[in-house]
Amino acid sequence: MLMKRQFVLTLILMPITFGIWYAAGTLFAAPAVWLCDLVLSLLYPSVVEAAALQGADMIVSSEFGQLNGQIMAAADTGNRIALEINSRLVSYSIAFYAALLMASNLEEGVFKFCVGLFWLWVIMAFGLASIVGKELLMIVGGPFLAAPGVPPADVIALIYQFNVLLMPTLAPVCLWFWQLRGSPLWEALAEDIKRASSAGPSLPR
Amino acid sequence: MLKPVQEAVIQPFTGLLASISTALILPFDETVIAQGRVLRDATTGFAVSIEAGCNGVEAAIVLIAGIVAFPARTHHKIIAIAAGFLFVQALNIVRIISLFYLGQWNYTVFELFHLYLWPVLIMLDVLVVFAIYLQWLGKQHPAVEVA
Repeated sequence: MLMKRQFVLTLILMPITFGIWYAAGTLFAAPAVWLCDLVLSLLYPSVVEAAALQGADMIVSSEFGQLNGQIMAAADTGNRIALEINSRLVSYSIAFYAALLMASNLEEGVFKFCVGLFWLWVIMAFGLASIVGKELLMIVGGPFLAAPGVPPADVIALIYQFNVLLMPTLAPVCLWFWQLRGSPLWEALAEDIKRASSAGPSLPR
Repeated sequence: MLKPVQEAVIQPFTGLLASISTALILPFDETVIAQGRVLRDATTGFAVSIEAGCNGVEAAIVLIAGIVAFPARTHHKIIAIAAGFLFVQALNIVRIISLFYLGQWNYTVFELFHLYLWPVLIMLDVLVVFAIYLQWLGKQHPAVEVA
C-alpha cells in the first residue's frame, strides 16, 4: 500500500519538480559544470582547456583546432574546437530524485535532499565529462585518442553508456533507497524483502 | 569490443521493436512504415530512428541485475526476468509510439519527453516491476514468520 502511494505520488509530483528544474536549469547545472571543469583540467590538460556554463549548456574549449581541414593541436592551428553540451542531459536526475524524495515525506527531508543533491552533482560531473569524451571521439577522433591518459574508444563508449544513459535515472533511485532507512516505507519494504528472501534457495548449514 | 553483440542481438532486437510499433499503429494510421530501426510517416516524411539508449535494453539490464542478485529459486528468477523484460518493453513500445506522434506535433515537447521524461518513467517501471516481484516472491512462502 505504501509502495503504491509512493509511485502514485512520484508521478503526481514529477510535473512540478521537472517544471522547477527546467526553469532553473543553470542553477542546478552550475556546481556539476564547475566540478567537471576541475576534473577535466586536472586529468586531461592536453585535451581540455576549460569548461564553463552558458545558459543550460556547458561550453568546453578543447586543446584541438582545425587548419586546412586537418585537426591538430590548438597551439599549431591558432583556433580551438569548442563543444556545446546540454547539461540537462544529466541534470534531470535532480528532478527525478526530488519527486522520489518528496513522495516519501521523510523526516529531515530538506537535509536529505541537500546530501542527495551533493552526490548527484558529483555523478553529473562524471556524466558531463563522459559526454565530452564521446563528443571529442566523434569530432576529433585520432588526435584525441592519441592524447596521454585517454582510454580506448570502446571504453569511452561504455563509460558514456553507463554515466549518461544509465546513471541519471539509476543514481536517484539508489540515493532515495539509501535515505529511506528508518521510514515506514523502508519498514514495509524490509518486510517484503525478508519474506521474499525466505522463498529463496536454502543455504547449506 | 561489443560489436558482435550489437550486430547479433541489439540491432535485430531494435528492428523488431520498430516492427512491433508499426504493427500496433497500422490499424489506426495506414501511413506508417518501418524501415529497419526507423519508423516513418509516408505522408509527412517525419521519421524516428530507434537508437542505443532508446530500446529499453539498459533498463532491462538493471532489472535483470536486481532479479539475479536477489536470493530466490532459479525458476522464480527465470519467470521474473521473462515477465519483467516483457513489462519494460511493453512500456518502451508505448514510449516509441508516443514519441513518433509527439515529434510530428511539436519538436520541443518531443525533446522534453524523449530526453528527460520517458527515461524516468521507464526506470519507475523497473522499480514497480521489482516491487511486484518481491511481493510475489513473498507469497510463495506466506506462512513464514517475519521478525
